[in-house]
Amino acid sequence: MVNYLVTLRTDAALLIVAHGSTVNADSSAPTLAHAAEIRRREIFADVECAFWKEEPSLRDAVFLFDPESIREVCVVPNFISEGYFSQTVVPRELELYGRITKRSNGQIWRYCEPVGNHPIMTDLLLRRAQEIAPGVPKNEATLLIVAHGTDLNENSAVAAKREAEKIRSLGKYSAVLNVYMEEPPLVSEWRKLTKTRNVVVVPFFISDGLHSYEDIPVLLGIVVAAGGGCGQPGSALPATAAPGEIFRHNPYRVDNRSIFYAPSIGTDAGFADIILEQALNAKS
Amino acid sequence: MADPVEKLLETVCNDSRSFCVGEILVRKTSTGGFALSHRDDKATDQLKIFRSAEDAIDIAKHDDAGNYRPLKTAPKLRHGWRLDLETLEDLRRALDYFYPGRLAMFAAWKSDKLQITPLRETLERQSGMYRAAARISDSQINDVVADFCRSNGGCLRTILWKRDAEEVIASTKLPKEKFDPAYDQMMASKPPGSPTPATAPIPATIPLLCQEACNLLIAECRKVMKGE
Ligand code: SF4
Repeated sequence: MVNYLVTLRTDAALLIVAHGSTVNADSSAPTLAHAAEIRRREIFADVECAFWKEEPSLRDAVFLFDPESIREVCVVPNFISEGYFSQTVVPRELELYGRITKRSNGQIWRYCEPVGNHPIMTDLLLRRAQEIAPGVPKNEATLLIVAHGTDLNENSAVAAKREAEKIRSLGKYSAVLNVYMEEPPLVSEWRKLTKTRNVVVVPFFISDGLHSYEDIPVLLGIVVAAGGGCGQPGSALPATAAPGEIFRHNPYRVDNRSIFYAPSIGTDAGFADIILEQALNAKS
Repeated sequence: MADPVEKLLETVCNDSRSFCVGEILVRKTSTGGFALSHRDDKATDQLKIFRSAEDAIDIAKHDDAGNYRPLKTAPKLRHGWRLDLETLEDLRRALDYFYPGRLAMFAAWKSDKLQITPLRETLERQSGMYRAAARISDSQINDVVADFCRSNGGCLRTILWKRDAEEVIASTKLPKEKFDPAYDQMMASKPPGSPTPATAPIPATIPLLCQEACNLLIAECRKVMKGE
């Protein structure tokens, strides 16, 4: 293992690829933070990021690593699931042909599994749920894993379902449900779907943004939609509150129940470990 | 281990006490560190001081009006800050947060390793919702590129790509300097009569190269085709 890491340090680089956004200022933040953390650990000679919608672009990424010193590049898609971007856009833009691509300059590019596929994801979801609702007995709580649903490009709904099943099988929570913003089971129906007094909600997204800051809170009823005025005293923030503020007022009391609302799972520092794991898995 | 980007920065730093990258002025300090600021803030004292390369992420994120900057090479870098850094590695990292990937592209270009992709090839490669962009006509490209990529208000990069495999210029409506890596695009970005006198000495400048059309330009081409 030690030799293996030494090899990585001297001539291997890590490229984390993510979607990025032209409208959401926080979309790339977790990816940049995970890259900085991995860089700090000095496992790779170089650690860079590239984005479909931000800079450096996926096309830039081909030229980010000096072929004289970097002989191998591990590409890890920071995506919650396999889908259009990880299967079509990223390989096309990076000129990858399968799991291993040898460039004309001799550089080997290894295309790794997306972070969402890694088994540690289940542990991260459990940890986040625990952190957001400390002291809440799990057998009196329902855990909701929220994904987008009906997104033509990604299979995040399938991934959320898989994670919910895995956590359910552990028998810790009274119930574990995968719910979606745009298809049944709908997050907005949580009152009917859940029976416990405590409801712990973890958005299954790679970054925070409009969905986690506003859309899901509105669907849960912990804030009211913009323009709709404020909710009951002590139960809701105005939808105009600063991004991130929404995560700082747990629990929300709605209909005599307590909702604990977490930031998107992709902001968890543990993602750095998953990214590394995926890169190391591809090497072995 | 000094890779090409570090070597490049080292050379620039050894050659001059100050240099520019896009809207940023980099000054070497007497203690061997670096002080970065907006070029417009050169003579301003009351700047908010930052000390970590990672601070560049937030400085670069929004413009003066608080709007998100999806294109970091757009000439909208916010004012009023100074970033003090100790090492060359910090400088490299910070500049990479301000202008992601640009130093590496410049290093690759200098060593003849940067591949340039014509716009038509980029357009043809698109799938999904961007496929429609490929239907854009040559004259529409001429207009869209002139409007979207112009250094004055659009983007400070130097365009290296051609319109198509026939090597036709990206837009005849842009000044020829837009395609010249030796030209400081900030000069073109200043409206006439701006406070920076044309006769002022121009510090060494690292150009921000555009070797292939960005996603935003492709989205703009698509908008034209969709009549949006
Ligand atoms: S295509 Fe290049 S020059 Fe034009 S806006 Fe995009 S990055 Fe700037």
